[in-house]
Amino acid sequence: MAKHGASTRRGRDLQISNFLGRPTRIVVVIILLAVVLFPLYWLVSNSFKQDQEYYHNPPIMFPTKITVQNYVDIVMNRGLLSGFRNSLLIAGFTTICTVFFGSLASYALVNGMLPRRIKNIFAWWFLIQKMYPAIVVAVPVFYIIRSLHMMDRVGALVLMNTSFNLPLVILLMVGFYQEAPFEVEEQSMLDGCDLLQRYFYITTPMVKAGLVATGMLTFVASWNEFLYAVILTIVRAKPLTVLIAGFITDKALVWGPMAAMGCVTILPVVVIMWAMQKDFISGISAGALKG
Amino acid sequence: MLVTRNYYRSGRDTALSWLFVLPVIIILLITAFIPLGWGLYLSFFRYKLNMPSVTAFIGLKNYVDIFSDELMIHSLRNNAIFAALSVSIELLVGVTIAMMLTNDNRFSRGLVSILMVPMIIAPVAAGTLWRMMLDRSYGVVNYLLSFLGVHPVLWLGDPKVALYSIVLVDSWLFIPFVAVLVLSSIKAMPMSFFDAARVDGASSWVVFWRIILPITAPVMIIVAMLRFIDAFKVFDTVFVMTQGGPGNATEMLPTYIYRQGIKFLNIGYSSATAILFVIVMSVIALVFQRFRDRQLQRLG
Repeated sequence: MAKHGASTRRGRDLQISNFLGRPTRIVVVIILLAVVLFPLYWLVSNSFKQDQEYYHNPPIMFPTKITVQNYVDIVMNRGLLSGFRNSLLIAGFTTICTVFFGSLASYALVNGMLPRRIKNIFAWWFLIQKMYPAIVVAVPVFYIIRSLHMMDRVGALVLMNTSFNLPLVILLMVGFYQEAPFEVEEQSMLDGCDLLQRYFYITTPMVKAGLVATGMLTFVASWNEFLYAVILTIVRAKPLTVLIAGFITDKALVWGPMAAMGCVTILPVVVIMWAMQKDFISGISAGALKG
Repeated sequence: MLVTRNYYRSGRDTALSWLFVLPVIIILLITAFIPLGWGLYLSFFRYKLNMPSVTAFIGLKNYVDIFSDELMIHSLRNNAIFAALSVSIELLVGVTIAMMLTNDNRFSRGLVSILMVPMIIAPVAAGTLWRMMLDRSYGVVNYLLSFLGVHPVLWLGDPKVALYSIVLVDSWLFIPFVAVLVLSSIKAMPMSFFDAARVDGASSWVVFWRIILPITAPVMIIVAMLRFIDAFKVFDTVFVMTQGGPGNATEMLPTYIYRQGIKFLNIGYSSATAILFVIVMSVIALVFQRFRDRQLQRLG
């Protein structure tokens, strides 16, 4: 058996990857790496350049005089700290709300006592909600948030982000709860656990890994969200994405601080994603193919 | 069956079930149902925030006007070109990359995790980054192209080029998405297929055309459709790179609705555009759902 396993693995190497010769493949991979990594390198290196270096011709590929002036600038003058705090609060609370409310609803849809028609309506609605762009409800949402006195508050963005992430999260979680063994559920019903107890103590612990994966997708999506952040914030609640876009004006671009702000925005999600890459890939594939 | 025997418990569980879905229903009510209903209502009015005196019920006139609105048709055309181009590029390059990373060794896995970075970057950050790189005078892209003898290109300032620059950035962001999905579907294929092909002495091109392509086609079609739908939601990158300009060269449907509603405060008309958009997308969604279910059945 072991021998067979070894030969199939080699079979995969031989058969699937022999496209184009080895040298061509190496060239293509190098180009690919350059195209993916160079823009990131450019962002990082620009964030450490000095003012006059941005207008150097030819552009400076490898800055020699590294400065942290841009980072000092975004902390002192451009509200980096409050932006970072807002982004963290928005993404954090959105994740908690989405995973908690989403898992409650998914559990009730799978194991609860709801009429079948309700389940169909939910499935049908989430499909539609995933299809239309967020912009179409922007104007009414703006009025609603204003009349709830939630303008320029983190809570408004948590609410909107929760709403936009719920369809995917519930579709994924319904799958997780369906795959959890029903025998355990049945046994605990016999033992007299009600729905709430079964949700908290029995079934949800079994699908914890799935909840973590969907939580991560939600965190990244709401960290990156821009449209509602720009419509519903004025000063206090601005997250990082709005601060970056604020650099885009009719006047000359301030490259250094802009690059530094970009780095701060990108870094946390990259770290999270690399730490939990497997969950991330499986979450995305499941979301695309099943959802 | 077990539950219905105990009426007290059954009633309690039914109540709890409703309680469990209640938060989601409330959230959807505030953020989706009421806004959509309100948008539908507003769409029947001539209603401009900056000119309150002209407010009047005009029935379906806003909807009729959409079809003779040249800017709207222009945005639709831009959006369609953008969608067709970016989806074909992303699919072509994404599948090629996936085919090269099928080796299950440390090198390919490392490459996949690097590839995933653009996937998770905030589109706003990516747009800003590319705007920096595509700057005409100080941008690094024009500098690098000058080695190939290319004259400086006005990437974002030239109406003929700007749309393609946005396609470029969108491709940079989403080729990895396509590659990762297609790759995981190739890896899910049974190895016996490849063993059999190897025994028969099939070349790798034959393996691709006769084995991999037919089997992963459903996944590719689903991914292409998802990207196509997403292309009609594009907003962040356009907003930071060109804001729809120069002129209206990169105006797309979402930025057009944004401009009409939020910028020009032409609430009634922009609501009509939005509602029409939702209806068209819902129809596409239902067709897509049918289609995907069929494709997934084929996958087994």
